[in-house]
Amino acid sequence: MNIFLYELKAYRKSTFIWTGALIVLVILFMSMFPSISKEINEFKKLLEGFPEGVRKALGIQVDTIGSLNGYYSYIFLYITLCGAIQAMNLGISISSKEIREKTADFLLTKPVTRTKILSSKILAALTSLLFTNIVYVIAAITVANAVKVENFSLYVFLLISLTLLFTQLIMFAVGIIIAVVFPKVKSVISLSLGVVFAFFLIGMVAAAEEATRYLSPFKYFDYSYIMNHEGYEWSFLLLGMFLIVLSLIGSFVIYNKKDIHTV
Amino acid sequence: MNIIEINELTKTYGKSRGITDISFQVKEGEIFGFIGPNGAGKSTTIRTLLSLIHPTSGSAKIFGKDCIESAPEIAKEVGYLPSEVFYYDNMKVMDLLKYSSSFYNKDCTKRIKELAEVLNLDLTKKIDDLSLGNKKKVGIIQGLLHEPKLIILDEPTSGLDPLMQQKFFELLQAENKKGATILFSSHILSEVQRLCDRVAIIKEGKIVQVEKISTLKENNHKKFKLEMKSSVDQSYFELEGVSNLEVNQNHVSFLFRGNINTVMKKIANIQIANLWIEEPDLEEIFMHYYEKEA
Repeated sequence: MNIFLYELKAYRKSTFIWTGALIVLVILFMSMFPSISKEINEFKKLLEGFPEGVRKALGIQVDTIGSLNGYYSYIFLYITLCGAIQAMNLGISISSKEIREKTADFLLTKPVTRTKILSSKILAALTSLLFTNIVYVIAAITVANAVKVENFSLYVFLLISLTLLFTQLIMFAVGIIIAVVFPKVKSVISLSLGVVFAFFLIGMVAAAEEATRYLSPFKYFDYSYIMNHEGYEWSFLLLGMFLIVLSLIGSFVIYNKKDIHTV
Repeated sequence: MNIIEINELTKTYGKSRGITDISFQVKEGEIFGFIGPNGAGKSTTIRTLLSLIHPTSGSAKIFGKDCIESAPEIAKEVGYLPSEVFYYDNMKVMDLLKYSSSFYNKDCTKRIKELAEVLNLDLTKKIDDLSLGNKKKVGIIQGLLHEPKLIILDEPTSGLDPLMQQKFFELLQAENKKGATILFSSHILSEVQRLCDRVAIIKEGKIVQVEKISTLKENNHKKFKLEMKSSVDQSYFELEGVSNLEVNQNHVSFLFRGNINTVMKKIANIQIANLWIEEPDLEEIFMHYYEKEA
């Protein structure tokens, strides 16, 4: 419990900043919605000018972009990107922080098992992520209601918003295992940006093919599918959970056997 | 009773460094020195004892329990002070020490205040703003606040001024009197000489010798220096127990270990101008061990 509380306190500031950033982002994007929906035909014509590949890569669905949920799902790609960086950062710093800041000697010579240390840290980070998501969703719904032109399905809006949490969880788990496998991570932010953008780019390229969608967590949730079916694609949801569980198990096994060297 | 029992402990890192077949025991109530030059494997051994590093082969026991399997249980009664202390920067000294004591299910506030007073440390400062020596003090308090039965120190004195070192040693001796066993690793011989009962000497990952300090210092070796009236052949002094023999015209010096009468008889047979017999300091013995191995 003491580790959990300490870690929670340590993440507090960055959690507030990331949450704030996500909210600012959604306000900025959504505030453009009224003007876009007013001149939706012009806008659609403009978008149709783009080659289909580009539209797919950017996640633009011309048919639905005029609706609030359609527009939201388009801009949500960037919200997810931002959230993914937050989650990856958390995941990577969890175990690398101790080694980089040379506090591993302090923590690991205390009468606690490594499993307990890692699980307390993970729980603290998950709490931060949950906090971010709850505050974000409340803010996003408020903004959506403020800018709506006609009524929209709150259910679909929530389904889309929830994918932020799922993507974050996947990124978080991947981040943990990266940090546990690498002996020493010098700079968390450059590594996490690198990994997240790699996934993001793969996601853009992979958008064209159904099979390649499996390669990037950014493409596990197809927003037009969510809007049409009011649900998620099970195969991708299961794959995401599988990835999370696998990364976590791997991380615990490796972390327990890891040698902590002097720096 | 043995507090620490190390059995053929081996740790290899790829090709280089590491330790090979380290074995020694530390008895209850002892202050045990662990000396060797930098990179000899002192830290590797200690980090294995603390289960920060997993051994390639062999095992180590603390309080009779395997130090990897029972690590959390052992850690309750172990205080550790690393050579380089770096604690969560964005914290006040008191907060860190409270965080540290929260792991032991004891209220250590009184003890923290006592120790801080002895060491002259301001508990309200941020760790970030502390000098190296003061950070070290935080480390010392952190290692002692739960009154551990075993104190493990890895080159603990760097950064402390002589006065603080003195206070620190007094603290350790007081803990030792209360029953704590101490494993003290260092490359500075004088401090080991001052504090420890027994030492293990480690070189290139292997234990060269485990010996009582008193045996090392007094009984074993005498340092002879002679000035002779006429030169004598070097072979004259090549007795059993003589080492580091140096003959420079009429001056002869050597270390001797064994029955002193045999040397005295030898010396009585030649004409000498002057004679010095000294206790070698640990440094010389230590160098001597190294040279013999090299």
